[in-house]
Amino acid sequence: MPKEAYGGPLEQVGPYQWKIPKSYKESMRVDGLIYADEKLIGQIRKDQALDQVANVATLPGIQKASLAMPDIHWGYGFTIGGVAATDPAEGGVISPGGVGYDINCGVRVIRTNLTFEDVRNRNRELVEELFRRVPTGVGRTGKYTFKQKEMRHVLGEGPSYLVRKHGLGTERDLEYTEAGGYLEGADPDCVSDRAFTRGEEQCGTLGSGNHFLEVQVLDRVHDEEAAKVFGLFEGQIAIMIHSGSRGLGYQVCDDALARLRKVPEKYGITLPDRQLVCAPVHSSEGQHYIAAMRAAANFAWCNRQLLMQQTREVFETVFGRSWEDLDMQLIYDVAHNIAKFEDHDVGDGKRTEVCVHRKGATRAFPPNHPEIPEAYRPVGQPVLIPGSMGTASWLLVGQPGAMDQTFGTTCHGAGRAMSRTAADKDAKARHVQIDRELEALGIIARARSRKELAEEQPKAYKDVDLVVDVVHKAGLSKKVARFRPIAVIKG
Amino acid sequence: MGSFEVFEHTADVGLRIAATSLGELFVAAARGVFSLVVENPEAIEPWQTVRIEIESEDLLGLFVDWLRELIYRFETEHLLLREFRVQLSADSRKLTADCRGEKADWARHLPDNELKAVTYHGLKVEETPDGWEAEVIFDI
Repeated sequence: MPKEAYGGPLEQVGPYQWKIPKSYKESMRVDGLIYADEKLIGQIRKDQALDQVANVATLPGIQKASLAMPDIHWGYGFTIGGVAATDPAEGGVISPGGVGYDINCGVRVIRTNLTFEDVRNRNRELVEELFRRVPTGVGRTGKYTFKQKEMRHVLGEGPSYLVRKHGLGTERDLEYTEAGGYLEGADPDCVSDRAFTRGEEQCGTLGSGNHFLEVQVLDRVHDEEAAKVFGLFEGQIAIMIHSGSRGLGYQVCDDALARLRKVPEKYGITLPDRQLVCAPVHSSEGQHYIAAMRAAANFAWCNRQLLMQQTREVFETVFGRSWEDLDMQLIYDVAHNIAKFEDHDVGDGKRTEVCVHRKGATRAFPPNHPEIPEAYRPVGQPVLIPGSMGTASWLLVGQPGAMDQTFGTTCHGAGRAMSRTAADKDAKARHVQIDRELEALGIIARARSRKELAEEQPKAYKDVDLVVDVVHKAGLSKKVARFRPIAVIKG
Repeated sequence: MGSFEVFEHTADVGLRIAATSLGELFVAAARGVFSLVVENPEAIEPWQTVRIEIESEDLLGLFVDWLRELIYRFETEHLLLREFRVQLSADSRKLTADCRGEKADWARHLPDNELKAVTYHGLKVEETPDGWEAEVIFDI
């Protein structure tokens, strides 16, 4: 693929805001607006991601601006790190590309009452046990299999089914999951047999690519009040899980892209890139995708719920105490590849329900928002930002600025800076084994694939601290705590 | 005869395939897929034969559906395939393939990429003076 730098217009309109004026392309309905500092915008300009931001601005019904977070990178049609809100009442569309293949890819963080001192001598044992018992990587299946009838419950009800019918978790887990781990209107009948089959052995498996399970130490509290509300303190051990809807979600996206191929034409929608394929929200085709996407989202929450349960079991074995006694409570679970219907101000004092596409972007609702758990309302919704393997991760809280500027949204991670093949070549050229390199930093990493570690090495990603700085200073979300990894398992 | 090479794309991975005939192009693409799934495709033993039949709206659709089917068979039946005999209909809309391989055995096969999907990004299947060429990117 030719990798050309962006050659279009770009104006700095605020300390952390850059605008692509809608005059850039005739078909743009709104401006493009990118959140970045000077250093990050320099990296972002190096490929066609900004052109994709401009292309998204052409979608029917798009409101305010086609937005991009500081961790954006080039995707298919939409950038990763893109946000687009469309108004169904104005012919607004839903686009599967604005959600991505991994529907409801997301992150959850679990706290413990263990400290680094409790774990440092057991770390290797802990990693080996996690790696042995939590399925990771290509083609690995887990201990849970859901056949047709059960799968319908998983897709239709989300983790409430696992908790209430199988005792796999608690009611509290559901309360601390975005949307309660359940999107209403999910319809298993809109999910293909192929997707069912791909998913039946994969619930409770981590997968591959950038997905991981990490044991982390909280190394710095930035906001004492919020940390206290979440039960966090310096030196504390926490676990971060990053995974999505596995083969089921990929198939739902794939099916939708095929099904919608000729739909834009039917509704007279002209697209600058066929990967922006979409359908009006109020069309039968749009409704079909939305129902299937919601089912896949529910599946993803079940996947992370089962990954958490298996992690709790491993800790019980290694530390010889129950998970409740270890206070392994879910702090929160957020989606970062999803489309949701939410009420937002769309300008000129108008407030309406819009379809918010978050493709590699995280919801960041501010204090007192009714959709966040009651206990968290004084401080805001936790936002979980995984760093790349071997670097810090962050817990932020949503801020009012996100509601004013970005449809209640912030960044989702570090964003790649190097292709996988370049990262692999880099490791080979340096004659290093990434696991050794990480071990020197005090991190034990286990992966099924040697290349996986090379491809996901810290150098391959942007600096997550820079990304978080931008969203913090732009008022989209506020720093609460920074975590550093001590153990990681991957595909 | 056909050949393939892997090329890079920021977050993902692509295959560039060249072959003297269209049938060989489909074979080389399939071998490319399994070379991405496992690091040592030469360790796949041809112990089992499966027949795959696909029909699609056009050549491009058939090419994508073929690769999708291979990913699906791997994910749901854990099949790693190595040898392929591909027959295409005259209008390039139907394919029948006899594929040989085995079920994944993670004691012998080294896992590499999890291919989530075949994308349309930069997708092409073209006739050239020397035969056929294709490019395809996988979401991983």
